[in-house]
Amino acid sequence: MNGNQHDRAIDLLLRRDVEGIADADARWLEMHLQECEECASFDRAMSGAAHAVRAVTVMASAALVESTRVRVHVRAQQLREQQARTMLIAVSFCLGVVTSTLTAWVWWEFGGWVADRLGLPSGIVEPGVLLFWLLPAIVIAVLMVTCPPTLFEGSLIERYMKDRLRGMQ
Amino acid sequence: MVAAAFSSLITMETEEAQIATGLRRRDPDVLDALLEQYQHRLLRYLAHMTGNRATAEDLFQETWIRVLEKGHQYDGKSRFATWLMTIAHNVAIDHLRKRNPASLDEMRDTEDAAPFEPLATGLSPFEHAAAAEEKARIQAALDELPAIFREVLVLRFQEQMKLEEIAELVGIPLATVKTRLYRGVRALRPTLGGDAL
Repeated sequence: MNGNQHDRAIDLLLRRDVEGIADADARWLEMHLQECEECASFDRAMSGAAHAVRAVTVMASAALVESTRVRVHVRAQQLREQQARTMLIAVSFCLGVVTSTLTAWVWWEFGGWVADRLGLPSGIVEPGVLLFWLLPAIVIAVLMVTCPPTLFEGSLIERYMKDRLRGMQ
Repeated sequence: MVAAAFSSLITMETEEAQIATGLRRRDPDVLDALLEQYQHRLLRYLAHMTGNRATAEDLFQETWIRVLEKGHQYDGKSRFATWLMTIAHNVAIDHLRKRNPASLDEMRDTEDAAPFEPLATGLSPFEHAAAAEEKARIQAALDELPAIFREVLVLRFQEQMKLEEIAELVGIPLATVKTRLYRGVRALRPTLGGDAL
């Protein structure tokens, strides 16, 4: 009996219970185990190890499952809100870029017309339009810097999502 | 009830594909059904890995949160159980690295190790004591094994996973899985009393 036969026997033993082995391999293995005490001993040890591992019973308690369920649901809601918020911000940004680009020329002409009507120097049109354009962003930035962060918590989107979820239940 | 409702959903698609779709949508019903179905297996695996009930419960919750967050990565081509155990394996490894940046051999928590739950009730006091003693002996034998062998033994004998699945889950070559299984069985034999199991 050579080492290759032992290796083959061990390989077949390792695969036998879960993957299954061909009938011919099973017959060869049976014959080999009758002749080889070393491999037969490993076979018994493997059955013993399987028995030992399966003997250790660990059960999840109902309280653990319930608290996990709650945590998962809360996190799922957070992720959904985050996703909705990100989507809304992205859409708003895109709309802002598109409308700004499309209306830039109109606002420029309008600024020139206003300056002309009020008799203001033409040099004021450029900074005026720029300021008018950036004013909303400047106001929001100042508010975010000066106001407490709690002002921006519980946003309209969050409230909308909560109402929607409540409506779904 | 949830499991029954979940199984009724499975009509045309395979179970795995259905799970993948549910996880992508972060469907709470699918998550509930999965939690119900895999609760004991997952906790058992983590308890074997950590040797500490409280730690295993923490990691159990962490695993499900990660399943929720990474659910879109599950493609439904492999068995969900294998994917879930892979997540659990990674959560356990992360835990180990935070606690002690050493090898997997040092994974088991030694402090405040709470015992596992008792076996099923309905036994006489003598049988219960004998079963508890036998269980403690087996647990001690498993405790003595390095975690890398114990993990493979648990996945093979308790989870009935294929060798290839274990290799994929643990991230090691197939030959290494066989070697660990072989060495794990051999290492367990003298502690459990040789062939007399």
